[in-house]
Amino acid sequence: MVDAAAIDRPLRDFNPWPAVIVVCLVCLAVLFLAPTLGVLLSSVKTTRDIAFGELWTIPDTLFLGNFGEVIANPAVHRYILNTILVTVPATAASIALGVFAGYVFSKLPFRGSDVLFLILVSGMFFPPQVILIPLFRLFNTMGLIDTLWPIIIVHTALGIPICTLLMRNFFATVPNALREAAILEGANEWQVLMRVALPLSLPAIAVLATLQFTWIWNDFLWPLIFTNSDEKRTIMIGIVNLKGQYSVAWGVQGALSLIASIPTLIVFLFFQRYFIKGMTMGAVKG
Amino acid sequence: MADLRLENVSKRFGDVQVINGVDFAAKHGEFVVFVGPSGCGKSTLLRLITGLEETGGGRIFIGGADVTGMKPSKRGVAMVFQSYALFPHMTVEDNIGFGLRLAKLPKEEIGRRVAEAARILQIEDLLERKPRQLSGGQRQRVAIGRSIIRDPKVFLFDEPLSNLDAALRVQMRLEIARLHKRLGATMIYVTHDQTEAMTLADRIVVINRGRIEQVGSPIDLYDHPANRFVSGFIGSPAMNFIDVNEHGPENCTSLGAGSASIELDGCQVAGATAIGIRPEHLELAGPEEGDFPATVEIIEKLGAESLVYLQFDGSDLPLTMRTSPEHPLCAGETVHVRFNKDRIHFFDRDGKILNRP
Amino acid sequence: MKGVRAGSRSPIFCGARRMEQSNRFWRTVLLAAPVAVFTVFVIWPLLSSFHYSFTNWNGFNREFDYVGFSNYAKIVTDKLFLNAAINTVIWMVAAILLPTLLGLGLALLIDSRVPGGTMFKSIFYLPICLSAVVVGQIWVWIYQPDWGLLNTVIGLVSGEEFRYPWLAKPDTALGSVIIAWAWQQTGLSMVIYLAGLTSIPEDLIEVCEIEGATAWQRIRMLIIPLLTPATVVVIALSVINSLKGFDILYIMTGGGPFHSSDTLAMHMYNESFKKYLMGYGSAISVVLFLIALTIIRIYFRQLRRVDEIYG
Ligand SMILES: Nc1ncnc2c1ncn2[C@@H]1O[C@H](COP(=O)(O)OP(=O)(O)O)[C@@H](O)[C@H]1O
Ligand SMILES: [Mg+2]
Repeated sequence: MVDAAAIDRPLRDFNPWPAVIVVCLVCLAVLFLAPTLGVLLSSVKTTRDIAFGELWTIPDTLFLGNFGEVIANPAVHRYILNTILVTVPATAASIALGVFAGYVFSKLPFRGSDVLFLILVSGMFFPPQVILIPLFRLFNTMGLIDTLWPIIIVHTALGIPICTLLMRNFFATVPNALREAAILEGANEWQVLMRVALPLSLPAIAVLATLQFTWIWNDFLWPLIFTNSDEKRTIMIGIVNLKGQYSVAWGVQGALSLIASIPTLIVFLFFQRYFIKGMTMGAVKG
Repeated sequence: MADLRLENVSKRFGDVQVINGVDFAAKHGEFVVFVGPSGCGKSTLLRLITGLEETGGGRIFIGGADVTGMKPSKRGVAMVFQSYALFPHMTVEDNIGFGLRLAKLPKEEIGRRVAEAARILQIEDLLERKPRQLSGGQRQRVAIGRSIIRDPKVFLFDEPLSNLDAALRVQMRLEIARLHKRLGATMIYVTHDQTEAMTLADRIVVINRGRIEQVGSPIDLYDHPANRFVSGFIGSPAMNFIDVNEHGPENCTSLGAGSASIELDGCQVAGATAIGIRPEHLELAGPEEGDFPATVEIIEKLGAESLVYLQFDGSDLPLTMRTSPEHPLCAGETVHVRFNKDRIHFFDRDGKILNRP
Repeated sequence: MKGVRAGSRSPIFCGARRMEQSNRFWRTVLLAAPVAVFTVFVIWPLLSSFHYSFTNWNGFNREFDYVGFSNYAKIVTDKLFLNAAINTVIWMVAAILLPTLLGLGLALLIDSRVPGGTMFKSIFYLPICLSAVVVGQIWVWIYQPDWGLLNTVIGLVSGEEFRYPWLAKPDTALGSVIIAWAWQQTGLSMVIYLAGLTSIPEDLIEVCEIEGATAWQRIRMLIIPLLTPATVVVIALSVINSLKGFDILYIMTGGGPFHSSDTLAMHMYNESFKKYLMGYGSAISVVLFLIALTIIRIYFRQLRRVDEIYG
């Protein structure tokens, strides 16, 4: 009965907009995808093909030699290992420090804590060049130049603002009553943090982990400043270095870029939700 | 001529039939209130009328024209939202004049009409303010101002008072009634509050689960409800319901109340499974005239009257009785209660009413 | 030690004073590491920058001399600094306009509930997770004179061979890098705008429908004003990120040709780590800091104003 009524219902005015919008979006999407597609294509083509202007066509056969060459290169192994050795500890350390500071600012505020919080968070806004030279001198004096330590330390320090900000905001949503109940049960502050607040804040930690991981993995400036021997280079510097070595081996460069991007692409694919949340929660890192 | 007519209107969201074949017409200048419990589909019905929601079936006529499938702005309706829906970045003046500015009317005319609307609603002093600087009642007025300025054929209100505190609600209710009188326009007003419905409406439409249960004037609905749902929904405190014993004596209605029963001699309706009686149709009586004894549980003294919550002896049947405040009752006391037998409503198994008391 | 005992005992048995003692103890313990690390590796270097900007340190020697304001005097006369400053302003203006407008446009298109919205969102957002090095490399290939995508497409459209070296010409180097940068940043603006769009109450849009606003009127009179908080964030991010703009320039042009794509960050790097004029480099970084500080203050003032209206 209802269906019969639906059939003789007068048609709505035809609305062309959705179709127009979809067409616009598809065009823009193609424009936006083209550069990424270029890397994908280059990685499965021989440098000869590329030089003859064949980069932007869909290949008939996949040429996997570029990947073979990259994977067989021991320098690449070292770069990736170095990058992991920097990224994992620095991500963990900055999040841990952010958790501590964020907890104090949200659950144990004191006179002047607002100002301290603002100082910590404002670190997010400044160009890193501002602290480049003094840090270079500091690590030089400590004899740490050309080790991975300065990179880990600086990423930890520069991660504190965003981690503190996000953790404080997240802890603020954890009811105070939970903390008070736990304390009445006899827990101390450390136990409250580890057993009550932290398990509740896993989403926030996921946000930070994706953000920090991507940011540190992709970083170029700090390893450029603090390392100079090939042994200590991270993958992003490695790409630039190998560019010189292979000079016009575009296919190999494409394969290398792709391999270097795989970890962040995986993070992007699986944790996109957290990623976007972190970016939109007042993050300035881009 | 009807300003608004709904013909067999229905709507479903996924598998849920939210509006179910609604037929209704509002006369020109009428104040109609749609009332029903939360989630019964009142807002959906209103949104179907505005065109914010596409009808699933049936037709909608406004001012005689079939507007089914027409854009909301072409239908000549104005709507006041529960949340007021004021634009936070515009002044009161710009909020009220929004529709006229969209229509690119000359500035002077917009100014004149905004001033007129502001005068009617007594918000002339607020025109320069932003919504954030207004109280709830003032925001409500601005929202109403935005709707009256366009001279719509039909005004639609979706629970406009439910965000206001109790005192303000009563005041705004009066103002809306005054506004209706002044504009003489057709108004459709949605609320879940039956008191609001009773006080405002020329006609009430009671809705339950996406269907119209009954349409009528407030007094009509109160005195002659069509079924058990309407009986229970209209009137505060609600009507008392008591089940009828299946195998009562001849020519007598036997009311089941736990282990005991109440016998109402000389009053019987065939097929009745339950009766309903309003609190004011129960009265205190002497032990002889009383139909049954009951224990006073709680007395609510409202000043002009008292509400007495009774427990029929030997059962857990709760009854509400309205009495004059002079009766010196106290909790725990046993009283005798009599039914006003002319005002008993009899319902059949499906809740349909069987008599016309 | 005393503090530890006070903190670990159950607060049921201690008075309010004990509680406060315990709080103070944990505050100290938890804040010690983050504050220490931040102070030593961020705040102290920041202050030292001012210090070094008055010296002639060369990056190797332990010693250096104080040279007063001569580094700052040099800034005023340094043609390359002026050039870099102008480029930074161009970069910043483009960085505000391109990703903001594009991001807003994309967000509006995606928000119009077309099919595949999530997919489009991911596509536009994807570049964000690529590194500046990879992005730089991709775009170097797009601008490649012989077989780059841009020249190929222009060649196809015009019908004749086109071989313009986009990155090797002073006229187009900076602009080309800016496009690459905007390509990466647009996704960020878009998601911020999308988040802003979801926070616009549905009923305001419905009022527009009832009052008969056209799509354009709705966007102009309602959506864009209501997106002001998002716009403030987007612009702040764009400005701040553009001040940092270094990696992608380093990869794509290295500031060249003939310094035509130098920015302040690039100039600072060149002076400090190529010419080893660390004192002068510090002075440039101090200027960068002051610019950033000014922008941040403007930003917070705007944020407060916006909060008052939209809160
Ligand atoms: N857009 C929607 N999608 C799915 N279900 C809806 C939608 N809008 C309303 N409903 C459902 O329709 C029913 C009626 O809703 P509504 O008209 O808002 O009720 P009322 O205004 O009477 O409280 C509710 O059960 C609600 O959950
Ligand atoms: Mg509703």
